[in-house]
Amino acid sequence: MSEVLTSIKKKSNGEVITKLSPKEYKGKVDPDWCPGCGDFGLLNGVRKACAELGIPPHKILITSGIGCSSNFPGYFNAYGMHTLHGRPVPVATGVKLANHELTVIAVGGDGDGYGIGGNHFLHTARRNVNINYFVMNNQIYGLTTGQISPTSNFGTKTKSTPFGSIELPINPITTAIMAGATFVARAYTGDSKHMVEIIKQAILHNGFSHVDVFSPCVTYNKVNTHNFFKQRTVHLEDVDHDPTDWKAACEKAMVWDDEIYIGLFWQNKERKTLEDLDPVLDEGGPMAFRSLGLSKDKTQKLIHKMM
Amino acid sequence: MVDGAAAIARGALDAGCNFYAGYPITPASGILAHMLRELPKVGGIGFQGEDEISSIGHCIGAASAGATVFTATSGPGLSLYSENIGLAIMMEIPLVIAISQRLGPSTGAATASAQGDIQFMRWCTSGGYPVIVLAPTNIPESYHLTKRAFKLAKRFRNPVFIATDKDTVMTTESVPVDEMINAPDWPEIPTEPVGKPLDPYQINGTIHHYTGSSHTEEGYITKDPDIIAQFNERLKNKIESHIDEISLVKADLQEGADTLIISYGVSARSMEAVVIQLRSQGEKVSALTVYSLWPIPEKKIQDCLRGIKRIIIPEMNHGQYRHEIERLVNRDIELIGVNRVDTILITPEEIMETYHG
Repeated sequence: MSEVLTSIKKKSNGEVITKLSPKEYKGKVDPDWCPGCGDFGLLNGVRKACAELGIPPHKILITSGIGCSSNFPGYFNAYGMHTLHGRPVPVATGVKLANHELTVIAVGGDGDGYGIGGNHFLHTARRNVNINYFVMNNQIYGLTTGQISPTSNFGTKTKSTPFGSIELPINPITTAIMAGATFVARAYTGDSKHMVEIIKQAILHNGFSHVDVFSPCVTYNKVNTHNFFKQRTVHLEDVDHDPTDWKAACEKAMVWDDEIYIGLFWQNKERKTLEDLDPVLDEGGPMAFRSLGLSKDKTQKLIHKMM
Repeated sequence: MVDGAAAIARGALDAGCNFYAGYPITPASGILAHMLRELPKVGGIGFQGEDEISSIGHCIGAASAGATVFTATSGPGLSLYSENIGLAIMMEIPLVIAISQRLGPSTGAATASAQGDIQFMRWCTSGGYPVIVLAPTNIPESYHLTKRAFKLAKRFRNPVFIATDKDTVMTTESVPVDEMINAPDWPEIPTEPVGKPLDPYQINGTIHHYTGSSHTEEGYITKDPDIIAQFNERLKNKIESHIDEISLVKADLQEGADTLIISYGVSARSMEAVVIQLRSQGEKVSALTVYSLWPIPEKKIQDCLRGIKRIIIPEMNHGQYRHEIERLVNRDIELIGVNRVDTILITPEEIMETYHG
């Protein structure tokens, strides 16, 4: 195991401060993403957020699906599971239930999460499992060299839509809100400082946190480029948005024009998580490491709870 | 009075299972119901996924984090499990999966027994890497083989199937208590893992990675042909070099018999009935019940062939296991199938008719 503590300082009052560096989260493999790919932004952003929150690598598990962006866990020093196309969220849920003391993050692309994995996205949001789902949205299939994605705009020409797409894109933000996610945000990898704050808030939120991250594909998407987003993105914090107002959140999420909003659209701090509601997880540490069987007292309490 | 669903669920719980995720499907839903009702009482977690794909995904996640996991489905659900079973093989995640077979293809006859998924279980994933398949013929065996499946899954870090069927899972029968309590005289499965033991995510554990891509020992993607070849050979060999240990059959051989009946699962019960009848009529006949369908217990099957001129194989499909036996025996042995794919169980009378030709 790598040494996780960058520096240990002692304050004059004897309090020990441990400070983590984003470098602690650097994986053993270097990314094979194209130079300029937005995914570098999220990778650095999550490293920075974890460092600033002081969560050491061995308390983090990152799952991913398949796609360029899903190679993420290999580049990150934490437990990692590079799963199947569209399936990082169910696997993350399983991990969280077996060991709820871990910070669990699922990552993937727009095709992975909103296309093939769309069903899991909806139902995990509804369940409100306390995991974080960061989707690197480039509005294109990059790994398979440029086909239409669920977030590609109407009219987009790709290898699989040579005459332009005749389908409307999904709106990840309104979809997440309607499905019951309790933390719904959008970030842009080219706006790092803002993105890191969003990621930190997402990780700290107790519930299903979904962040749709604009992560431009410099190779196959010549429309939704860094330039495109730099000119259009507006911070929700600057327009007096109230993240407890779901109607306003949906209205702002629908705007795709000269202005595109990024920031925290919606947060519900009241709703309990799946783990909060599961009577088995209320005490005794990670379920997977407990000995099977319960004391008579606990069994009685449990039966009482379930009746 | 107990049904196969309860016996399988109890076997899982007694084997230390503390996590179950599944999706309702006839005729496997009884197992889901039992597990979800019983797991919280022992401090485990069970829940219903939004579909089969997520359910097995939940199991893989929980297993990687240290839980002992179990799931059950039927043929259509196995189709949806298939890609994730490949992932579990690749990541070497211990999984126990009960398949309550019903008549296919597609939705088929959802409320009728069949044994049509014997090849499907074995070959359900890309690459054709080996899995272990155990087939109980009755309720006590459902309990004991389920417990055994968990030992095998842990030892080999591989998916292990329990191949059962609608009639075994959904029929409530009275069962002798001692058959449920006392394990059959089967050889023990060693507890030490073959290869690296599972290292769940611990609070102070060593960082490690899993990936469904070809990878190094540390779990990082590799394109090195030598490493990939070594890894793939190991996945194959870890099962195939332990065939003797995994092989489990019941050979009921009679001196001087020239007919051997081979069967498995629910069809083996008709075989047992017919053997009793035939012997009471003074006929000499041998019988072999195969519990470990995959990997094929080749030696154990071949051990039963002395003096045999004809083999009768009753199974509720078009001869899926008969074709496997065909390649193990001399050409001068005649192979005869008794096959049904019409929702009706194979009766002892049908086997008798075939016996008398």
